[in-house]
Amino acid sequence: MANSHSSEGAGRELRRIVRINEEIKSVVSAAFKINLMAMNAIFLAKRAGQSALGFGVLSNELRRFATDLQRQMDTLREATYGSVSTVTVLVKQSRISRLLERARIEAQGQAKTLIQQLARSRDESTLARNDEQMAALNRRLTHMIADTAQLVELGSVLARSAKIEAAYGGGFSGSLMQVSSDFEKIIGEIQRSLESLTKHQSEDFLA
Amino acid sequence: MKIARVIYEDGDHKWFALARDTSRPDFLIDTNEYLVTSDGDAMLLDPGGSEIFPAVFSAVSTGFDPRRIHKIFASHQDPDVISSLPMWLEFNPGIKCYLSWLWQGFVPHFAGNADTFVAIPDNGMEILVGSRRLQAIPAHYLHSSGNFHLYDPKAKVLFSGDVGAALLPAAEDGLFVEDFDRHIRHAEGFHRRWMGSDKAKRDWCARVSALEIDMLCPQHGAIYRGADVRRFIDWFSRLDVGVLKS
Ligand SMILES: [Fe+2]
Ligand SMILES: [Fe+2]
Repeated sequence: MANSHSSEGAGRELRRIVRINEEIKSVVSAAFKINLMAMNAIFLAKRAGQSALGFGVLSNELRRFATDLQRQMDTLREATYGSVSTVTVLVKQSRISRLLERARIEAQGQAKTLIQQLARSRDESTLARNDEQMAALNRRLTHMIADTAQLVELGSVLARSAKIEAAYGGGFSGSLMQVSSDFEKIIGEIQRSLESLTKHQSEDFLA
Repeated sequence: MKIARVIYEDGDHKWFALARDTSRPDFLIDTNEYLVTSDGDAMLLDPGGSEIFPAVFSAVSTGFDPRRIHKIFASHQDPDVISSLPMWLEFNPGIKCYLSWLWQGFVPHFAGNADTFVAIPDNGMEILVGSRRLQAIPAHYLHSSGNFHLYDPKAKVLFSGDVGAALLPAAEDGLFVEDFDRHIRHAEGFHRRWMGSDKAKRDWCARVSALEIDMLCPQHGAIYRGADVRRFIDWFSRLDVGVLKS
């Protein structure tokens, strides 16, 4: 939200944060699923023995990936919380600005001068600082989303490799193949969530 | 930071409690907010002061999509109850705020216009959340002169606003009352001073005694459940209220 003085912008910003949060929630639940699936995959690989060693290693990596992703989502959620706090301050400030503006119009003589002075000093300090803070938070959020995209790319590579490894699983090949395509499917879901997340992150900020 | 905890659940029909904010600055009174959901609709009860909007909004968002909150219930007009209204209306200008008719001209000083408020008449009314029929229960003069509680007959939950409130020390941060006698010490001074009318108190006790209540959920402090609900009502009916010094 580049220009947040209008309170309409604040509502839009909150709705944007909610859209981001909803995507975060779906990524978190997908990461949870991957974690469970990876745990099962590790047991499966153990049973398959020698022929599924590579698959076992990849499953371990996928578990770590899921944990990293969950942690990343916690940080993102914290960042959106920071944005809500800043928007709240902005709304209060813009309400005060509106009231001061009305007071300025109605005031006469000395009162008008006083209000003008007050409004000027507020404009210079508070509003500029809040806008800056909002912009900084948004930049941080954008960076974090980019980091997450990289992480998910790694997950996608792991899932593809698991599929290749599954082919060497001997008698377990069929079930390993099933597990690895489940991995691929869920990581696909995460990628789509992340795409919408990126879209939401950029949409109103540019407006 | 606040967290949203489910205290009642039957499919999509849920009660969330947003209680005990540990990160809140000391100069603000701690408040509990509640969210009732049913069939994709939701009502937020006593959404709290504007200072805690970020905490409430974020906590609600973790458990529920806040875009589905279409209604706000304000037990009365206090700033710790409803001064976050401007923020909720920023977020969704279509939100309806249910409030005693008595405060209709006062609360719009916080935010909202003629379309925002639904006036609750003195004898209460039914409020629909999704397919659930909730009841605004009169609780006038406890402590506010235009005051309502909210009863959910299916969940057997009564949201009781400032009635049942306790100002608990930071160490006692449980969601539910565990030891009634210990707990009620922290409620006594509050009720003596804030509740102004003995007659209103007796009326309320009679009114809610006729309801089946599994959980009595105040706006401050811990939730009474099971036998503690009856214990609280009995304790309150005996308490001397409207006194300046205890
Ligand atoms: Fe109050
Ligand atoms: Fe209160």
